[in-house]
Amino acid sequence: MRTVLVILGSLCCATAALAGPPEVQLEIRDHLFFPAELVVPANTKVRLLVINADPTAEEFESYELNREKIIPGGRKAVIFIGPLAPGEYPFFGEFFPKTAQGKVIAK
Amino acid sequence: MLLTTVVLVLREMLEAALIVSVLLAWSVLHVRSRRWIGAALAAGIAGAAVYAVNAATVSEWFDYVGMEVVNAAMQFAVCAVLLALAARPTARAATWPMLIAVALAVVREGFEILLYLSGFIADRGAWSTVALGSALGAGIGISAGALLFYLVVGLPRARALRLAQVLIALFAGNMAAQGVLLLIQADWIPGGVQVWNTGDVLAEDSVLGQLLYALVGYEATPSIWQVTAYVAMFCLLFGLFLRRSTPADGDGSGR
Repeated sequence: MRTVLVILGSLCCATAALAGPPEVQLEIRDHLFFPAELVVPANTKVRLLVINADPTAEEFESYELNREKIIPGGRKAVIFIGPLAPGEYPFFGEFFPKTAQGKVIAK
Repeated sequence: MLLTTVVLVLREMLEAALIVSVLLAWSVLHVRSRRWIGAALAAGIAGAAVYAVNAATVSEWFDYVGMEVVNAAMQFAVCAVLLALAARPTARAATWPMLIAVALAVVREGFEILLYLSGFIADRGAWSTVALGSALGAGIGISAGALLFYLVVGLPRARALRLAQVLIALFAGNMAAQGVLLLIQADWIPGGVQVWNTGDVLAEDSVLGQLLYALVGYEATPSIWQVTAYVAMFCLLFGLFLRRSTPADGDGSGR
């Protein structure tokens, strides 16, 4: 049953992709993520635009989201995430993990 | 900061060190010169520096997913040269695939380390801690590589060759799966369904999870396309090795 739902979800997303996935913005400043809690629609692919306002590079990393990407200092980058089942997905900045912590909340 | 540096450098070093050591073992098992390794490492480090300097530009290619595309291309290039190696494992020309595979592995992992270190250029107070952390991380990574190297070459020749073949096929499968994941992340190919979720049994960020990630590309929640790419590349490569295993076993009788 769950598989069927996931497949249906993927199909919906494939259709939605034609119109372009919704975009969500995340900013890195002083080795912190803003917002630290990012709410995204569940079961939908999302275009995550990460703006690194720090002069230093940061690596967006999430085991739960299966994502890993370096964003050079002062630049922006795009990471596509999902479609995600409703729930929480922690992420962190691998270069400054003590402060750079956040989570994606899919609902 | 010390621990962060150790973990980061170790993670990147480990992946590169394991592939370097297996290919080095391969070259020893085939009684071939090991001089290519110096050139491969030098080319890899130079490539990593060039990539790191141009990271900001590359990052903005293809509508801000340039890094995924370039990194995926490097992963697939490693798969291609490993296939070339498997197709003609005993040929003199086999040195080139090994050289290219090692150089690209060093570019990919080295570039991340360089970008991380570049963040501390202005922070003189952090230099000694970061240097110590890098040395520790690099030291552990290289030790793990050396351990694997001696483990492989210490076996009887036939078993050593077989183990090296399995490991090379696993690395190639891992590279193919990582390349596919990068293209999913860039939205160049669809994500597909998640095949399993073993996050509760073995977390990817645990020590064992990290080690298995570096060694066999362990993933707690892989997509169907990652698994497909992994299995297909492994079978293709290992199949090529099996087909060629008789001449491969025969050419190093002098050992």
